[in-house]
Amino acid sequence: MPTRPDDHDHAALEAFFDAARRTTPVASEDMLARVLADAETVRTAAQARRTRPVRPARLRDLLGGWPSMAGLAAATLAGLWIGAGLPEAVPGLNEAAYLVDITPEMAFGLAGGDD
Amino acid sequence: MPFDATDDLPDEALLARFADGDAAAARVLTLRLAPRVMAHAWRLLGNRAEAEDVTQDAMLRLWKQAPDWRDGEAKVTTWLYRVVANLCIDRQRRARGGTVTLDAIPEPADGRASMTEAMQERARADALQAALNDLPARQRQAVVLRHIDGLSNPEIAAIMEITVEAVESLTSRGKRALSAALAGRKEELGYADET
Repeated sequence: MPTRPDDHDHAALEAFFDAARRTTPVASEDMLARVLADAETVRTAAQARRTRPVRPARLRDLLGGWPSMAGLAAATLAGLWIGAGLPEAVPGLNEAAYLVDITPEMAFGLAGGDD
Repeated sequence: MPFDATDDLPDEALLARFADGDAAAARVLTLRLAPRVMAHAWRLLGNRAEAEDVTQDAMLRLWKQAPDWRDGEAKVTTWLYRVVANLCIDRQRRARGGTVTLDAIPEPADGRASMTEAMQERARADALQAALNDLPARQRQAVVLRHIDGLSNPEIAAIMEITVEAVESLTSRGKRALSAALAGRKEELGYADET
């Protein structure tokens, strides 16, 4: 069977490829050591990140993040405000207004009181 | 034996172990992959020192990629070959004149009759590398992957992110160019044309 010129050339080339495969350059010990050293650097850095102690930001996350923290702060402030009562210095307010019914005859019970 | 079992694990499994903190996995991967990566980079660049730098760079990227490596996607070797090719292209672009300084390839010795087989083989390999250095980058990459690294066309297509047909076209053109470049040297290298 006649061979095409391409086939012949490619077969001839194979001897060169064979020679190249048999003379593959060898990796130096120095290069291998550098690659291993890099691996160790990456590995220990990752390990350090995994064992880091809990930071305040992490604590915030554990408590439910900023919305929860904001709610907690608001509730705390409201509690303080309620506990302290309205200050007497607030203009226009009479302390007595909080102690006396405005129209006693119209008082009504909250639960099944007399009409 | 645990040590032997680690040696037999596929690359992807070793990489997962490395991501979990296993130093032994890194050693196995280094010894298995780094020489292959270096040889490939050398074929693409024609410069040993540059090839070693590319190898260190490629392997460092692999170590950093380990925690995010997704099983079932590209093989580690496919990914590495791709990274090496890109790093080699970057080096060549940054080099003055767009060409990395090639390692000096010795002229073939005179006196073919006295050449030992080993010397002849060395001379052929050197001649091939000199011819490879002159190929366009993508043709060189395809020819090296196919005929020196021994990968299949589908594997090469995955690395180069092209179709199998495109791989065949690149290797065909690359080999025609190599044949032409080496045609005049076959006799001196101890390979005579058969008539």
